Amino acid sequence: MARVVVVGIGNVLNSDDGLGPFVARTFTGGWDLVGDAEVLDAGTPGLDLISLLHGAEAAIFVDAVRDSGAPGDVKRYDRAEILKGGTKTVMSPHEPGLRDALLAMEFQGGAPGDVTLWGTIPESVELGTNLTDTVRGSVPRIIDGILGDLRRLGVEARRVEPPRDADIWWERYPD
Amino acid sequence: MSQRITIDPVTRIEGHLRIDVEVEGGKVSKAWSSGTMWRGIENILVGRDPREAWIFAQRICGVCTTVHGIASVRAVENALDLEIPLNAQLIRNLIVISHALHDHIVHFYQLSALDWVDVVSALKADPVKAASIAQSLSDWPGNSVQEMRTVQAKLKDFVEKGQLGIFTNGYWGHPAMRLPPEVNLIAVSHYLQALDYQRRALQAVAILGSKTPNIQNLAVGGVANAINMDAASTLNMNRLFAVRQRLEEATRFVQQVYFPDVCAIGGMYPDWFKYGAGVRNYMSVPEFPTDAKATQFDAPGGVILNGDIAGVKPINDWKDPFFGKNVTEDITRAYYDGSWDKHPYDETTDPKYNTWDPAKKYSWVKAPRFEGRPMQVGPLAQVLIAYARGDALTQKWANRCLDVAGSVAKAKLGPAVLESTLGRIAARAIRAAVISDLAMKHWGLLAENVGKGDTTVYNEPKFPTGTIKGYGVHEAPRGVLSHWVVIENGKLKNYQAVVPSTWNAGPRDGKDQMGPYEASLVGNPIAVPEKPLEALRTIHSFDPCLACAIHTHDADGTEIAKVKVL
Repeated sequence: MARVVVVGIGNVLNSDDGLGPFVARTFTGGWDLVGDAEVLDAGTPGLDLISLLHGAEAAIFVDAVRDSGAPGDVKRYDRAEILKGGTKTVMSPHEPGLRDALLAMEFQGGAPGDVTLWGTIPESVELGTNLTDTVRGSVPRIIDGILGDLRRLGVEARRVEPPRDADIWWERYPD
Repeated sequence: MSQRITIDPVTRIEGHLRIDVEVEGGKVSKAWSSGTMWRGIENILVGRDPREAWIFAQRICGVCTTVHGIASVRAVENALDLEIPLNAQLIRNLIVISHALHDHIVHFYQLSALDWVDVVSALKADPVKAASIAQSLSDWPGNSVQEMRTVQAKLKDFVEKGQLGIFTNGYWGHPAMRLPPEVNLIAVSHYLQALDYQRRALQAVAILGSKTPNIQNLAVGGVANAINMDAASTLNMNRLFAVRQRLEEATRFVQQVYFPDVCAIGGMYPDWFKYGAGVRNYMSVPEFPTDAKATQFDAPGGVILNGDIAGVKPINDWKDPFFGKNVTEDITRAYYDGSWDKHPYDETTDPKYNTWDPAKKYSWVKAPRFEGRPMQVGPLAQVLIAYARGDALTQKWANRCLDVAGSVAKAKLGPAVLESTLGRIAARAIRAAVISDLAMKHWGLLAENVGKGDTTVYNEPKFPTGTIKGYGVHEAPRGVLSHWVVIENGKLKNYQAVVPSTWNAGPRDGKDQMGPYEASLVGNPIAVPEKPLEALRTIHSFDPCLACAIHTHDADGTEIAKVKVL
């Protein structure tokens, strides 16, 4: 795993919950990272995040968030904010989320020290393979946010002109 | 006077699994299992190209990505009656094996062990004694006195800072926790080591599948791994040996740590071999084909009814009509429009929500049935069926586990005790050990076949005009998974996924027969209604994986699982 990782989390079959994968792929199409850094569409990995984050010193996550505010609002959380509160009684492998994966890594030793989460409040998480226009509109602001964090972490992002195909395959409709 | 307890995680926007139990005289008298989110993959797949269905199916569940991909390509191949090359079968088997080893390790240590292991009690352990107990179970290098001391110091540091981090919400000090402090310390050490070894198994999936969590190398007709021993970008000798090394590491952990831990801890909770049998109809499907035509399998399938292990009936292969003709899903008690019991080819998924009403509809999960009966699926079903059908590897590992547990419990334990809450956890460890033996065998089969000069990995599918139907089965970590497809003129007309947790977590049906979760809870003791640890033990023993869908980070971390006592 690279020193710095950008990880998009979410389910592409549930409308705005697919924000993370959408941003990860859009970013991969439009920017090349120089040095030891990587962008990943992680789906909904639950505790498998522990494996995906292994060896990373810094992680920037993108995910739909449940918070106060209006759909499409862009939010940034730092490590302490992500970790605040406890864990939940776990019923299934999906229950452990970002917080639980980071706490497990912290107990093990070797959790990334610098963690940021960029998120948007979803408008719809119903079954469907497209972002709503509201959430789609927040994507450029989230990408700007990620670029800012990458600069802070000393990772150079080079714009690809014209951008490569982002391969958002779930939004393609059959003929 | 009965009490009603509701365990509802409410952790994500739509929630996942809700359990309601009625407790009378310290025991569960009634139980209801409800999935709180609906899924209708066919509503997304209808009209699409069957060759790309697996890419979408992989996203049904973020934890079980590969298993849905495998079942999906097998379903389309079944409809086309398309044989795939031997290399493709074996590469898929290695992916299935690697994923299963990873998944079973995570289930025990990260998702269920802490129902039995009191983390805080480990602070009172004598590290020298702990190391000596651990070394009596196996010669694993991670059982040293130094290791036990280091972990205990780490735990002490956490507790003194006033934060338990990942262990915050456990039921520490609960009267149902019975392990001595030293065993708790061993388990916490292995919890940490498990984080490392499950990752190595996952790396094998990544090498073969080009990527995780969503693999990229499947195709209807085979796999997309070009094989060339001399080319850098293909499946070559370096990559094959990297896979072998990861599998060897995971195998050592399973055989020297996971398996002995489960069997020994099982022997310390002998009461739990008596609770939680529930539905005693079992089903598994054949897995790990060893020939291109998939006629020979290393894990046999079958059906056991009413606990009659000797009367096991085989499911011989992936085309056996005994399976294909007898599966239905019942929506009488589920939130869908109507009240029917239909074969997957003929089903629809039209959500129609009502309030939670235990006398009427109360779950988003449909109730799958086999010949009209509820069936328990998962490692326990697979182990019982393989044992009954005389599978030597399963008998070897099952007998070994029962011997270890029996010597700890000072009792003679036969395979019948596996029909229980603890038996489900033990069966998963037995299955993991069997699969770890198969890992090297199937790696060898692939290396041998490639060594003969066979590099074929793909047979091109051709879709006829008209309608064809098929189903793909996979014995996944949580049990029988089946995907059902109807294809018309080369496009998907219907698609249904009948998943293992639907078999186990499904609600009652038109005949009021309980599903396996529900039946297994009845009779469970509950010592403290506000802390229903015993109910969690039984539910976790199934390794529930339910909604398989939404992930949203909850910024307000104060909300915790609600346990409501009415």
